[in-house]
This record gives sequence, structure tokens and C-alpha cells, in this order.
Amino acid sequence: MEAVKSRRLSLLPGRQVTARPSALPPAVQIVGAAVLVAVAYYLGARIGEQLRFLPVTTSVLWPPNAILTAALLLTRPRRWWIYLLAALPAHVLGLPAARASSFGLALFVTNCSEALIAAIAVRSLTDAPGRFDTLRRMAAFIIGAVLVAPFVSSFADAALVAGFKGEPYWLVWRTRFFSNMLTELTLVPAIVVAITHGRQWLQHASLRRRLEAVGLAVVPFGMWTLVMLAVEHSSAFRASPGVPLALLLPALSWAAVRFGPGGTSVSLLTTVLLVVWSGSHGNGPFSTIQLAEGVLALQIFLTAVGIPLLLLAAVIDERQRAQQALQERLRFEELLSRLSGAFVHLPAHAMDAAFESWLRQLGEFLGLDRVTLYRFSRELGEFLVAYAWSAPGVAPVSRVSVIRDFPWLVPQILREQPVGFSRLEELPAEAMREAETFRRRGVRSNLAIPLVAGGRVLGSLAFVTVASERDWPDELVQRLQLVGEVFANALAQKEAEDALRSSEVMKSAILASLASGVAVLDRHGRIVEVNDHWARSAREGGVFGAEVGVDGSFLGACWKAALDGVPVAREAMIGTEAVLNGSRTGFALEYASGSPGAGRWLALSVVPLKGPDGGAVVSHTDVTERKHAEMEAQRSRQELAHFTRVSTMGELTASLAHELNQPLTGILANAQAAQRFLDARPPDIGEIRAILSDIVDDDKRAGEVIQRLREFLRKGEAELSLLDINVLVRDVVKLVTSDALIRNITIRLDLAAEGPTVSADRVQLQQLVLNLLLNAMEAMTECDREHRRVVVRTRLTESPAVHVEIEDAGSGLRSGTEDLVFEPFYTTKHSGMGMGLSIARSIVEAHGGAIWAVNNASRGSTFHFTVPLARVKAS
Amino acid sequence: MVCVVDDDMSVRRGLERLLRSAGYLVTTFGSAREFLDRRDPASPRCLVLDIRMPGQNGLDLQQALVASGQEIPVVFITGNGDIPMAVRAMKAGAVDFLAKPFDDKELLDAVREAIDRSDRARQSVAPRRQIAGS
Repeated sequence: MEAVKSRRLSLLPGRQVTARPSALPPAVQIVGAAVLVAVAYYLGARIGEQLRFLPVTTSVLWPPNAILTAALLLTRPRRWWIYLLAALPAHVLGLPAARASSFGLALFVTNCSEALIAAIAVRSLTDAPGRFDTLRRMAAFIIGAVLVAPFVSSFADAALVAGFKGEPYWLVWRTRFFSNMLTELTLVPAIVVAITHGRQWLQHASLRRRLEAVGLAVVPFGMWTLVMLAVEHSSAFRASPGVPLALLLPALSWAAVRFGPGGTSVSLLTTVLLVVWSGSHGNGPFSTIQLAEGVLALQIFLTAVGIPLLLLAAVIDERQRAQQALQERLRFEELLSRLSGAFVHLPAHAMDAAFESWLRQLGEFLGLDRVTLYRFSRELGEFLVAYAWSAPGVAPVSRVSVIRDFPWLVPQILREQPVGFSRLEELPAEAMREAETFRRRGVRSNLAIPLVAGGRVLGSLAFVTVASERDWPDELVQRLQLVGEVFANALAQKEAEDALRSSEVMKSAILASLASGVAVLDRHGRIVEVNDHWARSAREGGVFGAEVGVDGSFLGACWKAALDGVPVAREAMIGTEAVLNGSRTGFALEYASGSPGAGRWLALSVVPLKGPDGGAVVSHTDVTERKHAEMEAQRSRQELAHFTRVSTMGELTASLAHELNQPLTGILANAQAAQRFLDARPPDIGEIRAILSDIVDDDKRAGEVIQRLREFLRKGEAELSLLDINVLVRDVVKLVTSDALIRNITIRLDLAAEGPTVSADRVQLQQLVLNLLLNAMEAMTECDREHRRVVVRTRLTESPAVHVEIEDAGSGLRSGTEDLVFEPFYTTKHSGMGMGLSIARSIVEAHGGAIWAVNNASRGSTFHFTVPLARVKAS
Repeated sequence: MVCVVDDDMSVRRGLERLLRSAGYLVTTFGSAREFLDRRDPASPRCLVLDIRMPGQNGLDLQQALVASGQEIPVVFITGNGDIPMAVRAMKAGAVDFLAKPFDDKELLDAVREAIDRSDRARQSVAPRRQIAGS
């Protein structure tokens, strides 16, 4: 087996037809060939004996030497001795003169020497000793076997005959030389070609060729009959023997032109036999002249005509084959160019039909029985039949596990290496499984080409014959590899298109399933694609009431809506533009559409499209339900906060009564004092004036208490304003002062020097501080009166934020509950809902701050909260 | 001589005027501590005392006075009095217990009662002194 090269056919032994091994063992073959040589030698000798113009000793043709030469040309030198030895008994049997005589044996030696010299000379001059299909090979044969070998061997031959028979040396040499020359010339090509190509010709030649061959065989006999008649009746024919012979030339030329060296050789042989036969029976043109001279003339004539004719036949054969090969290549290349053109710009849906059609065309062109295209599935690790063609009457390809049934072949395909065999016998021992599979399927020869594209094996192309065996010459394999490349590229293209299509399908499915309207914009803001939802909502009013679909300008629609007075449209346009030009990485807004209350809430978001061409994706979602839920939740929160404020106030009733009683007491006392002063004579006007002034102050004070109360209990939406945290803390402390008094609690304030300003909702922040204060006071119910003290501190932090601490001296928090206290419904009190601190937390978080509680080192706990400082607006 | 102790200035001033219009001599104090520091030990014959005050409250002051043997008749005034508190005050010898806001007549009656009680106390003390002195 040849060394296996990458991307070349891994050649299996005995690929050449000429060296086709039969099923028989080699030893039997050699013995058979030897017997065949012996029989041929014997027959050749018997025939040679007959081909004599009696009484001349020398035959016109002496076949044994030529038979030996042909045998040696067709075999390897190390086996020559077998055939030479096999010829010896035939020589002894075939020649009565040689029996038991040293002369006969010596003649055998000279015969062998001629064959040996011819074989060695031809072998040294040509690359293929058994072939005469080029001018060079034919010339080598003529020089080595037709000229040199007879020339050299005839010296020994002549010496033998002269020595034993006493015939004149040079006369013998001359007759032997010409006789052997003519024999080699006419017999060797005929024998060799018959052995190497005979069977093939008989099997495959068309009827026309067969008829032509019969014609060629018949014509010389017809011509010769005519010549015979002409010789008898015309003196012109008798005058020169060349004239009748010349009449045989057309048949010889015909053979040379139409049947190659083999046919020419056979034709020459026929002519010689014809002439010699008629000559030896005293007929024909040579019968009139002296016999010896006549034979010589005949030999010279035939040799002189035969050599150029054989050369001509070789030239024509060579030309014809070259032309045939060229034509075949042209046809194949035309097929190939049509093939490669066929898959260019072919839409994916037309590819299946194209593959099927081209498998058929290839199969028909190459005369195959089945062509199958397998695709290699990476997921399954298996080759699957993708496309297949079978010749009419041939069973379709059976679907089996390729990996299981071709364990030797598959790895080679995966290594991108073609694998072929002309006969099952060529498969090596490792491929036992393959041989069994092929045999079961009736495959006689097979060629598998890997389909490689982009460095990946995509599949394999299998060419199969089932009716007969077939050779896979290198050139054909190379061409089929080109076919494989075209198929591989088409497959890769199809795979890519399929992948693209499936990703398109997936994309559309995703887009279609979205509950939002989605539009894809190019970088100019033009809509290039929308999903169903967008298209639907576009019909129902779309974005800002503008119906905008594919090819419409989204920016234009925004602009138009802005001109129509939709305030968010302008914002949307500016935001979208910023996303499109890359100055923003995203943009979103929510807006209400339609009448307030009954209308819908919509969210618009724009994200950039990451790609070379830019663009953006706009999604438009109906968030009415979410918005309603949000508003509902906010309302609930507010109601809850209000409810807790009201209930907090309930807790403070006693304290509030005290708060109001003070001014009322003052007012009443003052007023009654005034009445008394008025009764005095004279009334003290100055005193009364002072009293009235105090009454006014007290009244205002009472009014303030009620105002504070009302504000605190106000039910309403959050309203941000700038608040001084110190003022706020003082106000709240006023609310609880009376309560603190009742509970014997001191409230100490330790406030930041400059009142930090926060942006917050006043009521919420008051509620926050109040809840924490009440919580601190509540914590001290059980403790000694001297410890009942609450400290409220405010200070600025770095962040910048305001940090408020409310420190009590109560029982402190149970360890591990520092975070739990802020959970809703967490309470340690017998009364109360456990909402106070939870509301405190929600208020702090709504203001972007944080709240936490820690136990103090000595006693009690401290609650902390922070609220970011209001950003001072640059005015 | 009537002393008024209340943390609320406007209440103090109103009461001072009312009592003055009725012909009493009035001194006012903002807290129990102030009263204890500044008062003329001999003079007061009636104490108008607020119960709820920062620091020492009215009841504490009354008890402190009783403990030190100075039995000045006390008229309590309070913004949010309850029954246990009134009982406790009366047991400790208070003359009256008035809920703010109160009518001038109520207060003046209570103050008169207190002064009478104070006078009676002085009359009963004098013979005892004599007995003691004899």
C-alpha cells in the first residue's frame, strides 16, 4: 500500500487493472502461467515448423522466441527463470530435431537468450515494458525487442547452425535475424495486448467495433484472393512482388488507424501467415522467384512496413487517448463549473432539489449505481443520509448506523481523507466490518470523499457501484474532491442559512409573544421593523396618538405630537435622539394618555441597538394596571399613615386637653379679672388693656395648638417642601410636651447649630419624629422617675445628610430584635398595632434615608435616622 | 397673702389679676423649686398650686411642705385631673381641687376657705403656744 498522504486517496493494493489479482492464490497463478507459457511455446514451435518455404530450414516466423519475450515482458525479472524453465520441456517435445541432441538444447539456450536480451533491453528503455500505447514505449520495444535482441542473439544462433549443420554462417545469421525480427514485431504486441486488454475489449467493445474488427479480419483474405486472381491473369502483377503486397497496405493502415498497436500487430500477423501459407503452397507473388530470396524479400517488406505502422498506431493511440482524456476532462470540468455555479446565490429552499439533481447528474456522468450525500451530525456523532440517488433498478441506500458499520472508514473521513476501493478484496484486514457491510449491501466498489468547509467535516460523499467493480484513478478522485468542495460549501451555506432562518423564526416568535409594542429604528430614527403588538397599537392610536409603522419616522411622529401639544412627546424625541447619537445609553418615560382617571398609563423605553449600523429599539408598554396598583398602594399607605396619626392623637388626648386648658385657663382668669376691674371706680384702664393683650396671646396660643393638630391630622398626598429639621423637631416636641409632663418625662434637645434643610413632606416627617418620640417615652413607662429622660439630637453628616437621634433610658430592645422592630405588626406593647415604627421606616425610605436602632451602653436604646440634605438649587 | 405656683406664665398672670381684683396680695412662682427658694416663710396663708409642672410637681410640693410642718392650705388646680389624683390631694389636706379652666367664683371661694382655714389654724396654734410657753 502506498504511503497515505493527507487529502489523497488512500490507495489500496492492486489498483491497476493490469495487475489485477484473481481470487486464486499466487502460487497457483504462477504455475498456471508457467503451464500456459509451456503450452504456447510448444504450439509456437509446431507452427513455426510449418511456416517454412521448403526445403529451407529456417522458418519465415519462429514464434517460440516471441512467446518467451512476451512472457518476460509481462512478468517481474525475479520470476523469469520459472517461465524459461517451463519452456524447456515444450522445446524438447515441440522440436523433434532437438530431441536428445546437444544441438537442440543449444538452440533452446539461444532462443532464451533472445527473449532475455529483448526483455532486459526493453525494460531498460521504457517505464512500462508491457505497454505499447505511446510512441516512446513503442520505440523502446522496437529498438530493444525487434532490432537489438534478434541482431545480437542471431550470432550465437548462426554459429550453432553453422557448426552443427555446416550451413554458411552469414546466410544463417541473415535469415535468423530477419525471421526473428519479423516474429518479434508481429507476435509480441499481439500476445501482450491480447493478454492485457483482450478480455476487456471482448466484454466492453460496442457492436460497431466488433463488426469493424470482423471486417478488418475478412478484408485481407478478400484482397489476397483478388491478388491471387490478378497474379494469374495479369503480367503486371507478376513483374514485381511488391505490387500485390502493396494491395494489403490499406488493411494494415486501417488496423493502425483504428485498432492501435495490438490490432496492427494482429493484422501484420494475419498478413504474414496469409503470404507465407500461400507461398509455402506454391501460390502467390513470391512463388515465381527464388525461394530463399523470396522469403527474405517478404521479411524485409513486412518488417519495413510493420515498424512505421506500429509506430503510427502508437502515435494515433496516444493521441486518441490524450484527446479522449481531454474531452472527458472538459466534459467533467464543464459539469464541475455548472455544478459550482448552480449553488451560488441559490436560496435555501431550492437547495434540496439542487442536491438531488446534482447527485443524479454525477451518478449518470460517471456511470455509477448510487451516489449518497451524508451529513455529519455533531450532536449525534453520526453520519445521516441527507440526499441519495440510485440508478434505475438499484436498491436505494439503506439507512443504517454509519458509525457502527464503518469503524475503519469513518475516522479517515473525519481526518479529511478520501477512501476508495475498486474491489472488496482490496479492503485491508482492519476493515473487516466494512467488508461485511459492503458485501451485505451488494457494493462492489466504493469511493468516499469527505466534505470539508471552514476546517470542519460536514459530511461525506459516497460513490458506489453494485453492478460491477470500478477503478478510482487519482485524477478522478481529485476531481471528485473538487465536487466535494462545492457540495461542502453549499452545505455550509445551507447550514448558515438554516441557522439564520431559525434564529429569524425565534426572533419573530419572541417579538410576537411580547406584550409590549416593539419597533426597531435605524440610526436616523426610521422604523425598520415592528412586532404585531406595535402594528396593532399603531392602528389604535400608537405612540402619542400618531400612527407610525414600518418606514415611518419615529422621531417625526414625536415631533408632530410635540407640535400638537403633547408635552412628553418632546421629551421622548430628545431622549430618543440622544440614544441614537450615542450620548445616552438608554431612555425611559411614563406618561398618561387620554382623559385623567379613565385614561391609560404608558411606558416608553428606548435602548440602543448594538451593531455596526447603530439604531435603537423602542418598546411601548401599557402599564395602566401597574400604575393603578401603585397608586392604590400609595393611597393605602397614606390612609394607614393617617389612621395611625389619628390613633396617635387618641393616645395624646390627655396631653392635648392639658395643652388647650392652659391658655383657656389664662383667658378665663384674665377675662373675669377684667370684669372685676371694670367694676372698680374708677376702672383701671391700663390693667384692662394688659389683660386684653394677654387674652389675645392666649387665644392665639390655643389656636396654634389646634392648627398643629389639624395639620398633623391632615389627610392628603405627599408634598415636598424645604424644611428646617430643627424647627420641625421643636414643633413635634411641643406636641408631646404635655404628655411628657404627665408621664414625668424630661425631653432634652441637642440640636445642630445651623438648621439643616431637607426636602421632605412636612406631615410625614413630623409623624416620623412623633412616632419615635412616643416610642421612646413608651419605653420608659416602667422605669424610675429620675431616669425618665429623652434626648433628641440633630447633626449634619458628611454624606451630606441630617442625622437625627432619639435616645431613651428605658428597658432597651431585646437582643436580636433591632431590625424586627421596624417590621409591621411587631409590638411588645399590650395595646397598639405595631405599625408606628414600620410607618417610620417607610417614611424614611420614601425620603431616601435610612433608619436603625441600637441599644445604649448604659441603659435604654437610641433610634437613628438620616434624611439626605436638600440640594441647594443654583439660582 | 396668696401664693400662686404654675409653670404656665399666662395662667399665673390671669390668676394673679383675679386674686388681686378680689383684694388679695398675690405672689407668683413658675415652679416648686422657685417657691421653695424665694418664698417668705411666714407670710402665705393660701397656696394655689398647679399639679402638672416640670421637675417637682404640685403634689410633691404639698407633701414636702406637710413633711416640714408648714401646713399652708392648698388649692390645687390642674388641666387634666383624675379622681385618684384628687383623692390623694384631699387626703394630704388640700382645701380644694379645681379643674382648669375654672370659674372665678370657684377659685375665690376656695381661696377664702383656705384663708379661713389658715386663720383657724393660727388661732388654735396660739393657745397651744401659750400652753407650751407656760
